[in-house]
Amino acid sequence: MYIPNTAGKRRATAVFLLPSMIGVVVFCLLPILASAVFSVMDYDLLMPMNTMKYVGFNNFARILTGSEFPKVLGHTFTYLILYLPLILITSVGQALILNKSFKGHGLFRTICYTPVITSWVAAAVVWQWVLSGKYGLLNQMLSTFGITGPAWLNSKEWAMPGIVLAAVWKDTGYYALMVLAALKSIDPSCYEAADIDGANGLRKLTRITLPLISPTLFLLIVINIIYGLQVFDSVLIMTNGGPGGATTVFLERIYKYAFKQYKMGLASAYSWILFALILIFTAIQFRLQRKWVNYDA
Amino acid sequence: MMRNAIAPRKFIRGTLFYLMLIVIILCTILPFAWMVSSSFKGSEAIRTIPIRWIPERPTLEGYERVFNMQGFSFARSSLNSLILAIACTIVAVGSATMAAFVFSKLPFKGSGKIFGLYLATMMIPGTVTMVPNYIILRTLGLLDTYTGLILPSLANAFGVFLMRQSMMSVNDAYMESAYLDGASLYRIFFQIMLPMVMPTLSTMILLSFMGSWNSYLWPLIVLTSTDKQTLQVVLGNMNGMYKNNEHVLMAGAVLTILPILVVYLVTQRYVDQGISLGGLK
Amino acid sequence: MKKTVTLFLVLVLALTLTVSALAEPVTITYAHFSGAGAQEETLKKMIAVFEEKNPDIKIDLQITGYDDYFTKLATTVGGNNAPDVFEMNMENYLAYMLRGACADLTGMVNADNYSAGTLEAVSSDGKLYAVPMSFSTCILIYNKALFDQAGIAYPNNEWTWADIQTAAEAIKALGDDIWGFYQPISYNEFYKSVKGNGGSLLNDDYTAFTVNSPENVAVLDAMLKRVRGENHVQPTAEEMAGRGDWDLFTEGKLGMIITGIWAFPTFTEKCSFDWDIVVEPGYATKSTFFFANVNCVSPSSEKKEAAAKFIDAMGSDPDIVQLRLDASWELPTIADQSKLTQYLEVTPPANRAAVFDSMDYAAAPPALKESGAASEIIGNVLSTLEMNDISAQEALDDIQSQLEDAGLL
Repeated sequence: MYIPNTAGKRRATAVFLLPSMIGVVVFCLLPILASAVFSVMDYDLLMPMNTMKYVGFNNFARILTGSEFPKVLGHTFTYLILYLPLILITSVGQALILNKSFKGHGLFRTICYTPVITSWVAAAVVWQWVLSGKYGLLNQMLSTFGITGPAWLNSKEWAMPGIVLAAVWKDTGYYALMVLAALKSIDPSCYEAADIDGANGLRKLTRITLPLISPTLFLLIVINIIYGLQVFDSVLIMTNGGPGGATTVFLERIYKYAFKQYKMGLASAYSWILFALILIFTAIQFRLQRKWVNYDA
Repeated sequence: MMRNAIAPRKFIRGTLFYLMLIVIILCTILPFAWMVSSSFKGSEAIRTIPIRWIPERPTLEGYERVFNMQGFSFARSSLNSLILAIACTIVAVGSATMAAFVFSKLPFKGSGKIFGLYLATMMIPGTVTMVPNYIILRTLGLLDTYTGLILPSLANAFGVFLMRQSMMSVNDAYMESAYLDGASLYRIFFQIMLPMVMPTLSTMILLSFMGSWNSYLWPLIVLTSTDKQTLQVVLGNMNGMYKNNEHVLMAGAVLTILPILVVYLVTQRYVDQGISLGGLK
Repeated sequence: MKKTVTLFLVLVLALTLTVSALAEPVTITYAHFSGAGAQEETLKKMIAVFEEKNPDIKIDLQITGYDDYFTKLATTVGGNNAPDVFEMNMENYLAYMLRGACADLTGMVNADNYSAGTLEAVSSDGKLYAVPMSFSTCILIYNKALFDQAGIAYPNNEWTWADIQTAAEAIKALGDDIWGFYQPISYNEFYKSVKGNGGSLLNDDYTAFTVNSPENVAVLDAMLKRVRGENHVQPTAEEMAGRGDWDLFTEGKLGMIITGIWAFPTFTEKCSFDWDIVVEPGYATKSTFFFANVNCVSPSSEKKEAAAKFIDAMGSDPDIVQLRLDASWELPTIADQSKLTQYLEVTPPANRAAVFDSMDYAAAPPALKESGAASEIIGNVLSTLEMNDISAQEALDDIQSQLEDAGLL
C-alpha cells in the first residue's frame, strides 16, 4: 500500500508492531538464543548451571553420526509425505462443502468440528480400536474388499501410516476453518463472469476459487510443513515412539533426551538440526510461491 | 424435454451428496461419541471388545466425581481458565493483527527480514525453550502469576502469519483512498481493514481461545498456588488418580469442551457474514 | 549519657529484630505427587499435624499428578527454582542423587525409626540422601473362580515359575478369550526377574554390562514362552486390543496377574469373583519389586534444618503414620513392623501377609546414572519380542552390544 513515509506513518508502524515484537524478542528470541548456547554445551538439566562444559560441535556430531538419526529422519519424513497431501485434500474439500448451504448445514458443521475438540486421550482409545489388527474397524472394512489389513499400530511398517490417519482425522476440522474463512472472503461478483460463460463447477473451482484462496493454501502448506516436522502429541499418545522405536520422530527424541535423560545440550542440538531442516523446506516454499500464489484482490 | 432430463440428474447428485455427508459424519464423530458415551458409564468396563456405544447402566457418577473432586474446586479452576483464556485471546489477537497489518500493508526496510524472523521462531520446538522461558519468568518475578502466563501471548507468530496472508488479499485501493481523505492509519486499521478480514479474524479468535483454554504443560509448570490452577491442570492431575475410572476422565474431557463449543458457534456466525463491504463499491 | 541511651536503644532494636526473625515462621515448599487426587485430604491432615507440632514451620504444598510431576520438577530444578523438599520414587531417585540434586541429610534425622532395607536404598557411601516415607510392592494376584473352574490348586509361597506355567496353561484351556497369566516383558520386569535367577544387568562393581549372561537368557526364555506359540498363555498387545491388564482381570478373563498392591481398591470394587494374593514366585529364588516414595531436600535450599524435620515427621511421626494406615495409603517405612498389623486385618485379599513377605526379596533398580538411556534401549528390543521369532539369546546379545556401543558407563 502506498502511504507517504511521514513521521506519523513511522510512529503508527512502531505502535502497531511493538507489542508483538516485544513478545517475540523476550519470549521467543531470548530462549532460542539460550538453546543455541546449550547446544554447544554438555548441560545436564539437574545439575547446577555452572557445571556446563563447552563441547563445541560434539553434540551435533554425536547425533548426525549415530545410527538413530537416519531412522528419526525417515520416520518424520514418512509422516510428512503422507500427512501433507491428505490434510490439504480433506481440509479444502471439507471447507468447500461447508461453504454450501443445505439442510442440516449448521449441525453438519459442528460435527465436522468435533474431532478438533475431542481430547487426544479419547481419540487415541477409539483409534486404537479402529486400527486394531484383529478386531479393528478398518481391517474389517478392508476384508470386505478381500484385503487383509496389517497390524497397524503394532507393526513397524504400518504404525506411522496409522498415526497419520488419526492425525488427519483430528486436524481436518481445524484447517478447514481457515480455508472456509478464506472462501467466505471471496467476493461473489468474481463468479459473475464465469456464470455468464456457463462454466461448470470444476472450472470455477480450479480457475477462480483456488487461485483466490491461494494465499491461505500457501499458509496451510507452510504451516503443515513446520508443524509436521515437529509432530509430537499424536505420536506420543498413540505409540510413544514404538513399536520398538518404529515411530521415533524429532520432537519425541528431543523431549526424551531433555526430560528423561536430562541431556539438555543434546536435546538443544537436536532442535537446531531440526530447525535447519524446517528452514530449508520453508525457504523453498517461499521461493516457489511466486509461481502459484496469487495476491491480487 | 429439458426439465425432465435435468431433474433426475439433480436428484441423483443430491442423494450422492447426502450420502457422502453421512459417511463423513460417521467417520468424524465416532471418537467424540465414544467420549460422551463413556462419560456416562459407571464402574462397568469402559474398554470392551467390541466397543459398546451405549452404556449398559447409564449414570452421572463420572460427572458427580468431577464436580466434587477432592482438593481442587472445579468451579474455581474453570473460572481461572476462563479469565486466562479471554485475556490471552485479546492479547494474542490484538498484537498479531496489528503486526500483520504492518507486514502486509506498511512494509519498511527490513520488515521482510523481521517477518522471516517471526517464521523462524515457529521452527524451534517449545521443549527446549521451556527451561529458558522459565528462567526468564523467574527473573522477571512473574512465576505463579497470571501476568506470567498472559505476557508470552504477545508472541504469536502463527497468528501474524495467518492474518498477514488474509490481509494481503485486501485491495489497497480502499485504504489508500481513505488515507487521501484524511483518515489516520489507526482509523484505517479499525474501520476498513479489520471488517474486511472478519472471517479470518473470527477464526483466529476461536483458535487463540482454544489454544489458551487447552494449554496444559505451561500453566502446570508456571503456577504453583492451588487457587490459581486452571481447569486442564486440575483435570490432568486426575489422570493418575482415575486411570482405572475412565468414565470420570471422560466426564472431565466432555466438560472442558463446552466453552469452546460456545466460542465456536459465536465466531462461526461472524465467519458466515463474510465481508461486509457496505457502500464501498 | 546520650551515648549510653543510644547504645541501649540499638540493643533493644537488635533484640526485637532478632526475636521477630526467630518467631517468623519458615515456609518450606514441598513438591508432591503420590497423594494427588485420592489421598489429598489425608496428606493435608498429615501436614496439619506437623504444623501443629512445629508452629514455626509452614508447609507450602505443591501437588502435581504423577504423569507430569517429573517434567515439572526437572524444569524447576533446571530453572534454579527447586522446591525445598520434593518427593521421589525409587526409579527417579537414583538419577537425581547421582547428579548431586539431593542434599546430604546424614545425622539430620533419627535413622532408627526407619526399616533397614529402605534406609539402605536411600544411602550411598555411608551418607543419607533421602528419607523414606511410604512403600508398596508387587505381588501375584489370582482369580480364585478361574482356578476352581480349571480344577487346580491355588498358588502358594512354594510355587516357582514352572508351577505358574502349568497353572496358566490349565486356565488358558478354559476358553478362547480367557488368559492364564500376565506380566509385561519390560525393562522393569526384566531386571527384577533376573535377580531371582542369580542374574543381573551389570556386574558387581558396575563397570560392565552382563545383559546376555546365561541366567538372564533363561529368564527371558521363560517369559517369551508364555507369550509365543500356539497355546500361549499370555495375551500379546494385539490380543489386548487396547484394554488394560487390570481390565482383563476385573472382567474375569485373566487367571493371574503381577501388579502392585495399589490395585487392591480397584479390584475390591470391580471384581465380582474371589481373588487372593501370594508372593511372586521366583526362579532359583524369589525377587520382587520394591516401590518406595521418599522425600529429598534440595541442595540449594536455605532451610535444610526445617526441611529435615518435616520429612522426618512425614516418615516416622506416630500420628502421621497412623493417618496413613487409617487411610490405607500405601505402607509406612518404619522399623517397628508391629504397628502394621492393622493393615493385615483388612480383606480382601485374605493373604495380606504376602505383602510383607515380598519385602524380604526386594530387588533395587540398577544404580546406573544413564538408566534413562539404558531402559530405552532395553525396552525397545523387549517390547517387540512378542511379535517376532527372535530368540532370547539373540535379543539379549543385541541389547548387550547396543548398550556397549552407547557408552553409558
